[in-house]
Amino acid sequence: MASYINYRISQIHLTSNIRQTIVAMLGVIFGISMYVFMTGFMTGVNNAQNDLAFSSLAHVRVYNDRPADNTNIVSKVFPSTVVNLRHPKIIKYTDGIKNSNVILDALKSQKDITGVTTQVNINVFFKNAGNKINGSVSGVDVVNENKVFNTSKYITEGNWNELKQRSDGIFVSVDLANNLSLKVSDNLNIFTSDGISKNYKVIGLFKTDVASIDKSKAYININAARQLIGANQSYVSDIQINIKDYNKTKNIINQITSIIPYKTESWQMANQQLAAGSSLRDIIAIAVSLVILLVAGFGIYNIMNMTINQKIREIAILKAMGFSGPDVTQIFLTQAIVIGIIGGFIGLGFGYLTANLVNKIPFELAGMSTLPMAYTLKDYILAFMFGLVTTFIAGYIPARKASKIDPVTILRG
Amino acid sequence: MQNKIILKADNIVKYFYQPDKFQVLKGVGFEVKRGEFVALVGKSGSGKSTLLYVLSTLDTDYEGDLTFNDTLLSNKKQNELAAFRNEHIGFVFQFHYLLPEFSALENVMIPALKLNKKSKEEIEASAFDNLKLLGLGDQALKKANKLSGGQQQRVAIARALINKPSIIMGDEPTGNLDSKNSQVVFDIFREISKERGQTIITVTHDDDFANNCDRIIEMMDGKIQNK
Ligand SMILES: Nc1ncnc2c1ncn2[C@@H]1O[C@H](COP(=O)(O)OP(=O)(O)OP(=O)(O)O)[C@@H](O)[C@H]1O
Ligand SMILES: [Mg+2]
Repeated sequence: MASYINYRISQIHLTSNIRQTIVAMLGVIFGISMYVFMTGFMTGVNNAQNDLAFSSLAHVRVYNDRPADNTNIVSKVFPSTVVNLRHPKIIKYTDGIKNSNVILDALKSQKDITGVTTQVNINVFFKNAGNKINGSVSGVDVVNENKVFNTSKYITEGNWNELKQRSDGIFVSVDLANNLSLKVSDNLNIFTSDGISKNYKVIGLFKTDVASIDKSKAYININAARQLIGANQSYVSDIQINIKDYNKTKNIINQITSIIPYKTESWQMANQQLAAGSSLRDIIAIAVSLVILLVAGFGIYNIMNMTINQKIREIAILKAMGFSGPDVTQIFLTQAIVIGIIGGFIGLGFGYLTANLVNKIPFELAGMSTLPMAYTLKDYILAFMFGLVTTFIAGYIPARKASKIDPVTILRG
Repeated sequence: MQNKIILKADNIVKYFYQPDKFQVLKGVGFEVKRGEFVALVGKSGSGKSTLLYVLSTLDTDYEGDLTFNDTLLSNKKQNELAAFRNEHIGFVFQFHYLLPEFSALENVMIPALKLNKKSKEEIEASAFDNLKLLGLGDQALKKANKLSGGQQQRVAIARALINKPSIIMGDEPTGNLDSKNSQVVFDIFREISKERGQTIITVTHDDDFANNCDRIIEMMDGKIQNK
């Protein structure tokens, strides 16, 4: 069906008015490069945001949720009864996860899990001389903590692994250390809600760039933490789990809730504003890019329409010589597709260059040094496909119109 | 063989509806034999061009029957008619319609490339022969829009001949030519109808031209004038 002469005519049309062709192509180039750049930038921002978030947040967290509100038991049995209870006393509930080893064994058999670490988190007061600051101490499994949260990346002073041997050692966040006027090898007193007080030696500092953490957090060895609150060797307060693709927390949660009798919570559930921000940025990027592509599509549509109006006599003569409607459609659609493909490839290159350039713009905030950027093959392919579909549609409508031209009306003059 | 009827029009009726309903062709009927050289004459506005568009299958909005070699054309689909025109009908229009950005040679080649029965080289060679026949051998590689009106008209004639169509239709093919070139065109038409048995139906206002044809069909007010 595809015939040499149709392609030859398309080629002549494209090359005889090269400026018009270039203008049409520029539309596609602009559309696709913007698409590539925008999605790259937004993905970059999302990644940076997630990196920041995942410095203290695992993909999935397992913990012992407090029991449901049982202050009014009577109304549960007799819903219509008016009850007046004063000063209800709640039975002390079990805290934390007691049989952590069993759960860790169960988690090991899950294949999507890339890292698991256990923590004993305690709310405390940090005291140095007269200063008293409210915060939290995280007793951590030193090696696994680093696997899940990449903690050693945030260490500004000291050696993270030293915490393994030092049951009296503590890593303190920079701002907290500042506020308490602490330096490495100074002593720090910790005071728990149960009234226990203990001294630790500052063996290092860290900085996550998340302000709330940098102002209030410290790490100690998990065994030291158990000692501090008098818990047994298998007690943990949180199990933190990382998986291969952090967007797929739903699957893993579905799998493990059945085998774990504790609350499992994904990062999306814990930080809904973070997940929402991510999605919104994605939507904005795609919306803006699609609008640009649409405009580029209109550009092609207009130019194709113009070409067809200019060449209306040629179309009539071609039809008189025996070219059919589908031949005419093919001639003009080929032009649109060629513009789409060439413009698409140049657009990808141009988008990549723009992304590269923007990626070099200094941006020193929250641990970044330049504006963030992601280069995702999938987005590049998608941009190209969208560009091609747009040009196809934008070219098909005028091409079809051209195929319907009645040669007699034109030739009669 | 020479007496075989190649084209037969039977009671062709056509109306124009713009601006008012108006009957252009009022029951036109005639037969053309294979190899015949027919001149279509008549006053301006008598419906010659309109009839020619109907005969050429470009215009399908008419009543009546059009038969080519015993095949009824009137009820064929657009795409079938396009293929039919490509193979069997050559066109020379009142105004020379070439593709301006193609060379003269390529313009002549287009219908043959479309027909796709010969190799590109063969087509190129015969297109060049056709141009030489019309005295345009030296203009073959010039772009069509760089040629003079008369040269363009001759390129259009060379193009009409390329597929060796059964019928060549012309709408004042010599209208833009001087007497010398008119004579060249006439001689070519004369020769191809006699030697190759191709049929020629052409509208003309040139009395000399008409008088030298095999037959004159005269139109008057949408009807054929019987002599
Ligand atoms: N598209 C049209 N709509 C309405 N009327 C038309 C149209 N085309 C032609 N006519 C009318 O039909 C009649 C025949 O026109 P046609 O072009 O066939 O004449 P012609 O014999 O070829 O004339 P000429 O020798 O000037 O070329 C004329 O009266 C013309 O005004
Ligand atoms: Mg006319």
